[in-house]
Amino acid sequence: MTALLGSRSDVPTDVRPGTTPVPRRRRRRFTVESTAPLLLVFPAIAILLVFRVYPLILGVNFSFTGDQELNGVFIGLDNYVTLMNDVRFHAAARNVIVVLLFVPIEVFVAGILATFIFLKVPGHRFYRSVYFLPVVLSPIIIGAIFNIVLAANGPLNELNRAVGLPIVDWLGQSNSALPSVLGVHIWATFGMALVIFLAGFSTVDQELLDAARIDGATLPQTIWYVVIPELSQTIQFVFVTTTIGMLTGLFGLLYTMTAGGPGAASYLPEFLIWKLNGEAKPALASAASVVLLLLILVIGLLQIRVLRRATKEV
Amino acid sequence: MRSTGVARWLIAVPMAILALATIYPMLYTLNIALKTRYDYVIDRGGLTTTFAFQNFVDAWTQANMGRYYLNSILVTVVSVLLILLIASMAGFALSHLTFRGSRAAFLLILAAMMIPFQVIMVPFIKTLSDFSMINTYPGLIIAYVSQFLPFTIYFMTAYFARIPKEITEAARVDGNNIYGVFGRIMLPLGRPALLSMGILNALFCWNDILISLLVMQSPSQRTLMVGVSALRGQYPDNVPTYLSGVLLVVLPLIVVYLIFQRQITAGVTAGATKG
Repeated sequence: MTALLGSRSDVPTDVRPGTTPVPRRRRRRFTVESTAPLLLVFPAIAILLVFRVYPLILGVNFSFTGDQELNGVFIGLDNYVTLMNDVRFHAAARNVIVVLLFVPIEVFVAGILATFIFLKVPGHRFYRSVYFLPVVLSPIIIGAIFNIVLAANGPLNELNRAVGLPIVDWLGQSNSALPSVLGVHIWATFGMALVIFLAGFSTVDQELLDAARIDGATLPQTIWYVVIPELSQTIQFVFVTTTIGMLTGLFGLLYTMTAGGPGAASYLPEFLIWKLNGEAKPALASAASVVLLLLILVIGLLQIRVLRRATKEV
Repeated sequence: MRSTGVARWLIAVPMAILALATIYPMLYTLNIALKTRYDYVIDRGGLTTTFAFQNFVDAWTQANMGRYYLNSILVTVVSVLLILLIASMAGFALSHLTFRGSRAAFLLILAAMMIPFQVIMVPFIKTLSDFSMINTYPGLIIAYVSQFLPFTIYFMTAYFARIPKEITEAARVDGNNIYGVFGRIMLPLGRPALLSMGILNALFCWNDILISLLVMQSPSQRTLMVGVSALRGQYPDNVPTYLSGVLLVVLPLIVVYLIFQRQITAGVTAGATKG
């Protein structure tokens, strides 16, 4: 650990000189005042280096080595080639696209509902509380409940029967399994996007809204020309968090509701990684992790941009 | 932006239906959990006529739920306390103190926030087993701490940054060193943020399944969520008892939600707006 700290101070951390002012820097004199900042950040940095950064590097390394009898042997890109020919990987990749198609649905639903709540429809406080409630429930609980609700003989199908729609084995058919899980995910998390929207609404300049009303703007015009531009940062934020939530927050539901099935119909990258690891193919799983990392990186860079802007303007 | 009264009531109708759709699955579950097994087989959908609390007793006693509860409470409480302590220390340093590498440290934290656990789960488990921490409480705790620390640091940094420098400087003039400022000024002033992050992280730890499945492989050390997911196999043909077990897990969450709704909301909306 001390080695880590030592090497840290040797690394030229200021890429751009002048960005971090270092007043009163005394060489080789350790006082309570001069060591305190480093001691305060040290536990956090040490934990993140050992349990986040190091595993990340280790994982990228793993992905170029073999499994089982080839354990630890460098095999180049073989794992990636194996993945490219793997049916479950194909399914997971295809399903990522399905997932991305569901993101705008959640953002739209949450945005509309947040607008109504912001306009104080009767009972808005109650709705806000109720909509957010599923967010605190574990995916395991939600999955358990919806296993019963979506069963072939469950209440949803009874409703279908009552209004004359066909009975669907929602989780048992390959074309409906993933959309059903995504639907449940949206049910469980739109409340989160909704409160984020509401937090954004609270920052909209009331004078702009009043001005729009005096100018005789209709409600859709007000939303389109005033609210949406004012909320651009919030909307970005909701898009990024919803996307990341869908790509990395579905494990619990998949685990309880479909186990990736039927066949590989509801596989997502995170489930494939977990499955491959369980099949004693950690190196292959690592290759799949690197692919997921690249995907997340694109979204994450966007996230960093949004978050840093938020802290800077505090 | 004031719509007419009628329009508002019209909008309220679909919203009420949606609210019903949000709580209906839970009420449906409660309804079934209160049925006897016999009633459930005879009439699945109808309103329950019995109050079979025996289901809850069975789920609690037969499925080892008490043990899982204790495991989850222990791991959650220790993890959250560690997260709050480490994150507020780092947040204070990053927001109020100037030191070499503070920029790099903040970037590391943001980068760590971007890396989802799924991406590093295989090498992370290997790292834990190198430290002989698989199947141990410290192993699961360090897994949670490292997972939820980055966001908490980010939140605390942003929160502390809003506390004016004059306040800390006044405390320095009064003879406090840096640790005194941290303990006597920042921690008390940061209480709302700490409460918010405490509740949110407690929910994350309590509700986690993936990390817990990977780290705790022996049945006696299972956390509550892993235990509940195993209930289904335990009661394949006794849905009321199975759902009673599920509700035993839901209950504390709903209580926490009703008490701390505001703090939870404050936590999840961090970073969404400019202020």
